[in-house]
Amino acid sequence: MASSLEHYVNMVQTMSSTGNFTQLCDFINKSSDTLAKNASHLDNVYATLDIQQASLGVLGILCVKFSLSNMPDLETTLIQTTEFLAKCNGEHVRYATDNYAELCHKFAQAIIDRKMYARGIAPLVQAIQKIQIHPAQLTSIHSSLCQLCLLSKNLKPALVFLDIDITDISREGGRFDAKDYLLYYYYGGMIYLALKNYERALYCFEIVITTPSVAVSHIMMEAYKKFTLVSLILHGKIISLPKYTPQVLQRYIKPLCQAYMDLAAVYLQNNLADLRMTVTKHTDIFNRDNNMGLVKQCMTSLIKKNIQRLTKTFLTLSLADMANRVQLVSPKEAEKYVLHMIEDREIFATINQKDGMVRFHDNPENFNSPNMLLELDKEMQRCIQLDEKLRDMDRDIAINPQYVQKSSGSHDDDLPGTSGKIQAY
Amino acid sequence: MAAIVKKILAASLEPMQVDVVEENQNVEEEQHYVVENATIDLDHYASQYVGLARLNRLLFIAEHCNSLKIEALRMALNYTMKTTFNTSLYQIIHHKLVQATSGVRTGSNSSSNNLPDLAPVNSIDTQWVEVTSKKAALKLEKLDTDLKNYKSNSIKESIRRGHDDLGDHYLDCGDLSNALKCYSRARDYCTSPKHVVNMCLNVIKVSVYLQNWSHVQSYVNKAEATPDTSDSSKDANQTISSRLKCAAGLADLATRKYKSAAKYFLQVNFDLCEFPELLSPSNIATYGALCALATFDRKELQVNVISSSSFKQFLELEPQLRDIMSKFYESKYASCLTLLDELKDNLLLDMYVAPHVNTLYTQIRNRALCQYFSPYLSADMRKMAEAFNTTVGALEDELMQLILDGQIKARIDSHNKILYAKDADQRSTTFEKALIVGKEYQRRTKALILRSAVIKCQIHVRHLRVSESPKRRPTRRGNVHSTSQRQLYG
Repeated sequence: MASSLEHYVNMVQTMSSTGNFTQLCDFINKSSDTLAKNASHLDNVYATLDIQQASLGVLGILCVKFSLSNMPDLETTLIQTTEFLAKCNGEHVRYATDNYAELCHKFAQAIIDRKMYARGIAPLVQAIQKIQIHPAQLTSIHSSLCQLCLLSKNLKPALVFLDIDITDISREGGRFDAKDYLLYYYYGGMIYLALKNYERALYCFEIVITTPSVAVSHIMMEAYKKFTLVSLILHGKIISLPKYTPQVLQRYIKPLCQAYMDLAAVYLQNNLADLRMTVTKHTDIFNRDNNMGLVKQCMTSLIKKNIQRLTKTFLTLSLADMANRVQLVSPKEAEKYVLHMIEDREIFATINQKDGMVRFHDNPENFNSPNMLLELDKEMQRCIQLDEKLRDMDRDIAINPQYVQKSSGSHDDDLPGTSGKIQAY
Repeated sequence: MAAIVKKILAASLEPMQVDVVEENQNVEEEQHYVVENATIDLDHYASQYVGLARLNRLLFIAEHCNSLKIEALRMALNYTMKTTFNTSLYQIIHHKLVQATSGVRTGSNSSSNNLPDLAPVNSIDTQWVEVTSKKAALKLEKLDTDLKNYKSNSIKESIRRGHDDLGDHYLDCGDLSNALKCYSRARDYCTSPKHVVNMCLNVIKVSVYLQNWSHVQSYVNKAEATPDTSDSSKDANQTISSRLKCAAGLADLATRKYKSAAKYFLQVNFDLCEFPELLSPSNIATYGALCALATFDRKELQVNVISSSSFKQFLELEPQLRDIMSKFYESKYASCLTLLDELKDNLLLDMYVAPHVNTLYTQIRNRALCQYFSPYLSADMRKMAEAFNTTVGALEDELMQLILDGQIKARIDSHNKILYAKDADQRSTTFEKALIVGKEYQRRTKALILRSAVIKCQIHVRHLRVSESPKRRPTRRGNVHSTSQRQLYG
């Protein structure tokens, strides 16, 4: 009994000190059964091993502990994991990204089961930062973090990661799954939605629904529903999707979202009464999908859009007339909307309270203030940076030996990495 | 027999009251409308066409105009009997006629008795039907054997004619699809360009009856691509080209390409326009003028229509349209629109233009509104409403639509009821556009970079592999989609 554990400890310590990590990983994976049999003594082993020096060994132990069907002392395990995530050696654990991710997911799951969402956030943030090679790399832990943030209604920590545009994905030994990817962007979209950053939310949902796909995923379907609603709120129509959008979306997912398609079709008619009717008709579906809040925002956005349309055609308009044209109950309500829209700089207008007239103005922005020029310059810089990034990627491909071999047509050994890259361009 | 029919025609020419009973008919039919005050002299109208064109037009009028229904049906019935072998159409028309007359009679009994006494409809002429069917069958047999003979002798010219004759006969019997087949078959036996053109014209004719407009269009192109024959006279050539223009115009009108339809109709030569199987010259005037009004700008109108010497002759046939045209050009929109409204009922009885009347009218009106405002920086909407026979409120709505469509660049001062032309600040709009395009570029590029990473990692949603246990990872959040890759469709 104890001898096998001692053997484990010895092996881990010697291999870690000699830097023989690949073999160590193999050894740890093989010995998981032995460890599971000695479950009661694992805490001792944990205490024996130094987290910094023998990170991989500790990782192995924690993984086994989480995989036990009836964990004796969950609280201790959680504390141990938190400690491990804070102190482990990033260089070491990168040899076992799959186990590392597995541990994080199980940790997150345990926390979710016990509804202690907030305490999982900080360890996971550390965990991600440790394992990432660079900040723009996506790991499967990202999705767990977003989920915890959503559940604890503490959205800021996820933003640190969400605001970075991903350029690379960690494979985690083939463990990284489409599900993690879809969930990360789905949760990301929801986080941005909660913060009312519609632009970014729409982008996230678009990423989800344009993921290469040959089967119907529920995440994609839910994302498509939200995508439809956000697109209506932001653009007043369903924006067109890029050409690489999978066929599955058009063929299977759209018919499953009929209520949302109906809503979009009615929205385009700009008729508030009809929209209200459609919403009432499908209330059950919207409630069941937990999308009623978004649907309500859609209705408000239609009112705003109709008011904006008026600014294009009128110089002056009485509040009563406006209420009539936008199908609002009273001039008072119209005044409220106009006031809010002026405050949010969605329209440019003044209200004359004496005779109840609204006077619309043009956009006062003349694009000649220093601030505006700075803004323009920033935008240009961003474009230039992106362009450079593209150039880099192009060069990487051009000098990739596999690509060169393939494009010169001498061999047709289909290496997935290379062929994928070529497809992407 | 002919005398009786004439008497009946004379009787039914008197105005009739329309009863509720009749309006209940054809309710199910799509786009059904009833024209009350048509001012068409049916005798004159029908005499402009021959063959199926006349029948189709009469039946269309019967369908949509109660006051002319019985008269039109009777004329159609008579014409079918006299000139065709089309027994099935005869029976259909007869059936309709019986329905129509009985409808009127019950209506008149219940309401008022001031209607002219209608002569009862003759019962169906079974003898004629039998004799005609027999005759048709005999002729068909004869033509068929003739054609077989020609084929065994393989004389190209005779075979071609045989096919044409057979086609003519099918057309007479009302079998359009067979007629089309025969006419098209003649194509392989055409030896001279003249024959090719002739074949094309035949096919076009039948295709128009079948309302197969893309067919019409392609055969017009085919005929036009055929080189001119040197031996035939110039007049004959021009007649053919006029016919082709008519057909092409009609096809474009039917497929809602109004501008090119107008251009085709304007190219028709008045002196050589004989196409009673399809259109009358006054049709060409109507279609051409309406399409031109709806789609041409002021200058095009002046150059191509008003000062066109050949189209002027067409317009003389339709003095009302000529007036409309000149009123529109002189910017007297109120009277122009009034005249157009007067014309509307008659247009709704024209089978080819009827489906497009409303669209064309709206386009003409919008064009008039745009033209009215074009020279001004600001316009008083009260005066404008007066010029267009409408109220300020209605005008405001109309203008709003036009502004939103971008047809008029202006904004409405609803307080003072003044329309102001809008001067767009090019510089600002360019900046705004540039910003939007830049944002869009960033968005697309980021998505593509991410996508290349996704493909590199070979991430895609697929069916769950059987070997993989679905519980490989425990469900995270119960209410959100526990298994992403659950397969919904087998």
